[in-house]
Amino acid sequence: MIIKEQKHDDIDIVILSGRFIMADADEARKKLKTLIDQGSGKLIIDMEQVTFIDSSACAVLISAFKSIQIKSGRLVLITNPVVQSLIELTRLHTIFEIVPSLTAALAVFNKD
Amino acid sequence: MVKIEEKKDSITLRISSSIELVSPLAEALDAFCLATTGSESCAFEVQCAVVEAVNNIILHAYNKDTHNDIILQCRKENSLLLIEIIDYGLSMSSLPIPSLPAFDAENGRGWWIIHSCVDNYFYKVIECIERQRVYKPNEGSNYCEDISVKSHSNVLTLTKQF
Repeated sequence: MIIKEQKHDDIDIVILSGRFIMADADEARKKLKTLIDQGSGKLIIDMEQVTFIDSSACAVLISAFKSIQIKSGRLVLITNPVVQSLIELTRLHTIFEIVPSLTAALAVFNKD
Repeated sequence: MVKIEEKKDSITLRISSSIELVSPLAEALDAFCLATTGSESCAFEVQCAVVEAVNNIILHAYNKDTHNDIILQCRKENSLLLIEIIDYGLSMSSLPIPSLPAFDAENGRGWWIIHSCVDNYFYKVIECIERQRVYKPNEGSNYCEDISVKSHSNVLTLTKQF
């Protein structure tokens, strides 16, 4: 998996691509934790280019969600149909804020 | 490295128990399932279940030790895919209950995914047993018996209709 970081004003954007499974979980968890600890509490995780995820990836997303909640921040996920299907299978769509594109994700924060 | 043996309607994939090898294993299986069934959704769901099962073997059966074998055999029987995942690590004493944990729990979704993505599954522990009977003088047909397990394998079988 490839992890890229971007910033849009005070919003942190993490762009993931490739397969996001157990082998990538530790690196992704560490990068997200650092970003959340140092960031403004506004985080977008863009998984539009992720080709497969497993339950370890879900665990990383939940960990990020809990960390950002502690900071009273907000996490927005961008998914594609493959990612969305596993998120729905594990019922995590009921807790995550999910949008289909970066434009929509940025709009979530710009509304505030 | 993934060792691949492919026949007309079946494939055998072998890896050592390293998390780095789960992706190439799953991708090889996905390609076989897609070519065999012609169904993207079937291939995807099988891949989801197998990745969780192999993750469990690496974490729990082998306790993250990378020097062990995992064998995956997949074959097509009419409109059924039959997948066997074999390991030689610590056996499960029962199948986990396939339920979702609390939403904020980070672990415990693997068996739910397996349960949801295949039609049926069962788990076998195959033990090769050495059985000794010791007869002593003046004890007639009475004997002392000693049974020991010499080797074992664990086989998780998944089936998926397509």
